[in-house]
Amino acid sequence: MFAHLHVASAYSLRYGTAFPAALVERAAEHGMDIIALTDRDGVYGAIKHAQACLDAGLRPVVGADLACADGTRVTVLARGHAEGWASLCRLVTAAHYAGERGEPAVTRELVGRYAEGLAVLLGPGSDVGRAVADRRDEQARDLLLAWRAAVPHLAVELVDQYGYREGGTAARMLALAESAGARTVLTNAVRYLDPADYQVGDVLDAARKLVPLHPRHLEHTTSHAYLKSPKEMAQVAARVCGGDTRRAARLLTSTRDLAERCAFDPRELLALRAQPARLHLPEIGRDPVPLLRNRCADGLYRRGLDRSRDVRGRLAAELDIIEAKGLSGYFIAVAGITDMIRAMGVRCAIRGSGAGSLVNYLIGIGEVNPIEHGLLMERFLSEGRVGLPDIDIDVESARRLDCYRAIYERYGEERVACVSMMETYRARSAIRDVGAAMGLPPHEIDVIAKAFPHVRAKQIRAALSDLPELRESGLGDRQLETVFRLAERLDGLPRHIALHPCGVLVGNSALRDITPVERSLLDFPMSQFDKDDVEEAGLLKLDVLGVRMQSAMAYTLQEIKRVDGLDIELDAVPHDDAATYDMIRTGRTIGCFQIESPGQRELVAKLEPRTMHDLIVDISLFRPGPVNSDMVTPYLESRHGFRPVVYPHEDLREALAETNGVVIFHEQILRIVDAMTGCGLSFAETIRRTLDTPEGRERVRSWWEGAVRPEYDRETVERSWQVLDAFGAFGFCKAHAAAFALPTYQSAWLKRHHAAAFFAGVLTHEPGMYPPRVILEEARQCGVSVLPLDVNRSGRHWQVERVSPGLGPDEEGLDTIGRGYGLRVPFSAIRGISEAEVDRIVAGRPYTSLSDFWDRARPSRPVAERIVQVGGFDALHGLTPGHGPRWRPGEPTRRDLVAQVGALDRSSAAGVTVRPSTRASRTTSTAAAEALSVQMPLGFTEHITPGELPEMTETEMVAAELEILGMDVTRHVITFHDELLDALGVVRSRDLLTQRNGAEILVAGVKVATQTPAVRSGQRVIFTTLDDATGPIDLTFFESVQARCAATVFGSWMLLARGVVRRTGARAVSLRAVDCWNLVDLDRIWQEEGLDAVRSAMTSQPAPASAVGGRVIEYANGFKLSPYADVGPAPGVQTPPRKLWHASPGSSGGGPTRRSA
Amino acid sequence: MSRLYGDPIEVWTRDGEPSQFVWRDRLYVVRRILDHWVVAREWWKTSETDPGERRFWRVEATPDREVGTYELRFDTASGGWLLLRAWD
Repeated sequence: MFAHLHVASAYSLRYGTAFPAALVERAAEHGMDIIALTDRDGVYGAIKHAQACLDAGLRPVVGADLACADGTRVTVLARGHAEGWASLCRLVTAAHYAGERGEPAVTRELVGRYAEGLAVLLGPGSDVGRAVADRRDEQARDLLLAWRAAVPHLAVELVDQYGYREGGTAARMLALAESAGARTVLTNAVRYLDPADYQVGDVLDAARKLVPLHPRHLEHTTSHAYLKSPKEMAQVAARVCGGDTRRAARLLTSTRDLAERCAFDPRELLALRAQPARLHLPEIGRDPVPLLRNRCADGLYRRGLDRSRDVRGRLAAELDIIEAKGLSGYFIAVAGITDMIRAMGVRCAIRGSGAGSLVNYLIGIGEVNPIEHGLLMERFLSEGRVGLPDIDIDVESARRLDCYRAIYERYGEERVACVSMMETYRARSAIRDVGAAMGLPPHEIDVIAKAFPHVRAKQIRAALSDLPELRESGLGDRQLETVFRLAERLDGLPRHIALHPCGVLVGNSALRDITPVERSLLDFPMSQFDKDDVEEAGLLKLDVLGVRMQSAMAYTLQEIKRVDGLDIELDAVPHDDAATYDMIRTGRTIGCFQIESPGQRELVAKLEPRTMHDLIVDISLFRPGPVNSDMVTPYLESRHGFRPVVYPHEDLREALAETNGVVIFHEQILRIVDAMTGCGLSFAETIRRTLDTPEGRERVRSWWEGAVRPEYDRETVERSWQVLDAFGAFGFCKAHAAAFALPTYQSAWLKRHHAAAFFAGVLTHEPGMYPPRVILEEARQCGVSVLPLDVNRSGRHWQVERVSPGLGPDEEGLDTIGRGYGLRVPFSAIRGISEAEVDRIVAGRPYTSLSDFWDRARPSRPVAERIVQVGGFDALHGLTPGHGPRWRPGEPTRRDLVAQVGALDRSSAAGVTVRPSTRASRTTSTAAAEALSVQMPLGFTEHITPGELPEMTETEMVAAELEILGMDVTRHVITFHDELLDALGVVRSRDLLTQRNGAEILVAGVKVATQTPAVRSGQRVIFTTLDDATGPIDLTFFESVQARCAATVFGSWMLLARGVVRRTGARAVSLRAVDCWNLVDLDRIWQEEGLDAVRSAMTSQPAPASAVGGRVIEYANGFKLSPYADVGPAPGVQTPPRKLWHASPGSSGGGPTRRSA
Repeated sequence: MSRLYGDPIEVWTRDGEPSQFVWRDRLYVVRRILDHWVVAREWWKTSETDPGERRFWRVEATPDREVGTYELRFDTASGGWLLLRAWD
């Protein structure tokens, strides 16, 4: 039976088109019993190939098709797992470390070094094959002999895909091999599943090579590179052998022999499925079992838990499971790493189900006490669960790579690797690559790609007809049909490999015998396996996730220390601060971890949390599952006493009391199952996992009927089943929520008590969903002053400065919590500034003048101009733009300074220097420079008279700020429209609370967030937040209005909207949107045609077309999901348009002079 | 020395390979297949329909006693044959 020995799957990035499982399935249909996978430059698909072979009953061969330094290719196969896998891994690793990053390359010598256990195939793409094709017969022979001397197991690979002259080349390679006495094998160099896939292959070739589709660039367009049947391969054999049947039979036998020699039992590669599982554990140096026991015992005393019998019992049970699974060493290793990270002064917290383990708490991996919160170990690690536990830890995002480096230094590069992940084609990336291959102009491709939400590539044409904003876009016309059709065919194919955001493998010195390693973008060693593969391969991983909020909080603490001299131990802050909970209850949570989204602001206002446990419940409720199975309303009603708390049975009171009878946590499901059947928590966890699928629920249902203890009556059994059925698959792991709740509380506490420093941290590390201008606006709302860029006071990042508290009413309230502090715009906020420029500018402070700055900080000309335009020199040169007359003879203006930057640039380019100090040596003559610079020494080579150019108006200042900083510092942009908004009677955010429920009002603002989350109704609902300088306004667009509004919502930067007021809590209001308009368009109409024209523009509505289409996915518990919900929405318009408002009378002339070099 | 033609011809096939063809009113019998290759079309220029591929045969054929070499092309989309070149 023929066996394909040279097969590329989709894991040959941007080359292959079929996934290993599909290839194996086809091979099985052809009756084959062996199939190889030889992906390009790696074994990315090897584990999945072995799994597919195990499922289909085939034996796998694994290998790789490696690029050589001279542009040729060579294929290597492992001669069995035991003999060849380690060599294959080592060779692939060596290939990736020999070439440039991303351009692996081998040489004959390199292959020879690792050739033990490998078979080397020299095909038409090899140097031998190329020489034969070019009729360099002597050279071909020499090369073949050189290869034979270098590697022990060599074969000449014959391929004929019916290309021009290909058959002849194959015949001559056969003759060469026969004369040299080398083994020959026949392959089809497979890259497609079906012949028709060659079009996808051509597109991938063009995308990979960054060239347009053209015969000149596609060396080998053929539809024959598919997984041919044995019969078809026999025909190929006959062709290659010139019709000589005996030679053809010999060729096929020789191919079969090599396949037999290389094939192995897939379970050898799938270490986790072996009995017992073969785990790859870190080296601890001594027996880890007593070591872990001792550390836990120490932990009991340290945590003050040594006297509790319950705790000791729980510890014994956990250790039994850990030891039975042989995982003691893993816990020791992880504890070593978390100790090390904390010793580096990096904030570090445990996250996820691992927080439920007492052992993790005792040995200091996590700080969450599972007993206190009622968390269960079984959710993390249980007897019945196949698979490995994951310990997840959160560290400061800005220090994550430091943590990785420390881990590498401690364990050595040989023992550590990051986990990788495959980035696959989705709608936008597929459109980009196909558009480029089809030769569309780049800016058009960009516009088209950005119009789509983050849907799958195969949904592209469906989305075009389903979504109103795309229907109106005109993208659906015939011209782009081919682009979309091809883009859909790239759906799900891996595009490139990337570093997984958190997975780290910690193993022993044999790690690189198990997985090949390549260099990631940041030069970290990266396994070619993804997170599922590493588990199957028996490798233990630790998730070290960088969390921006941890960095933001660390920065906040630094700023508090720097400005106020206070040392705050955040982990020791008591968890019952009334002021903090008061702030959360009013929904003023923008900037806080986990609770700042519009939906969460609404939920916290309704739930009114008062304790840490309330926050845990709040975070658990705000998940797609609980929201969609409607756990929220019953919980809130019971909590506020609107309905009595009921339990399905008195025995379940203990499990459900903490959430007023409503099931919210996974842990509660486990307790219910255990309480009513006595099956034990480990088995209950298995049951809970089974509830995930409809079939699983059926199985559990029949089990439930029999397993429930006899004392429960029929009705109780039924009622409790309904609870499991509805919520089993949708609850949230309480351990996750408990781990999240702590930073949520901490961030809220910092906002309440150290608002300015907190906002500095949030602005610097951007942990949340809102753009910086929203955070800045919230800071203003809290009484923090926003201070403009100043070359002598600004820093690298946002910094807090003390300012005079100002004269305001001496009231208590959230509007004053930041009073007395200011936030200084940093240099890093300037568009286009480089790290090196920031370094030089900060190091050179203070400056005495613009020319001093130009001389010593050496900024690029555009950056210097931008700094001037946003006021970086206002203080230094005494400028007062925005107020007073535009023409001020004798006084310098920002425009004069911009002109001076030009003069300075020209003079330094011409080599003209006034002072003896050149631009290269600037330390000695600072004093002299200052003396010269005091009076604005403008006259080096060009004289610029102060006041020659008009000062910028306030309008121009804000426009410059938006363009350069991306935020309006001087004045909120919406205030330029006050006159129009007042004329229309628009309601401001701060007045929303005074509106009666059900009133229809107008609101306006800058769009700051747009989301399309999953909602229970199965609609795609658009949630939009506007910011109008007095606070946020939350709008909800249901499908019924989207035909009219969707294009405007996604396509506008500033919106005017009509909506119906909906009171959602004591202090919370949201609006159901009825209609909306682009405010910039209305402003233009107002300026040109007057208010009546605006009013008529707002009334004349096109008849709404049909709303959002698409098949709604319906779940068994009644939850429906729109195919366009719960995906990232189209980015839409995110940067302000060029012209935001009509130029106010009097500001003649164009905008600020802006010349970018 | 070969000459280019590009004349439409009628071809009889056996087992998927050309066995005889009529060119300029003469019947040619294929003696031997010298080479056969397949070229995919520039599908991205055409419309949605499968543009098909072009199959080339280089054959030794004879109308009587003199043997010549001829290149035939079959276009799967149109289903038509051409005689492209001849060495005679």
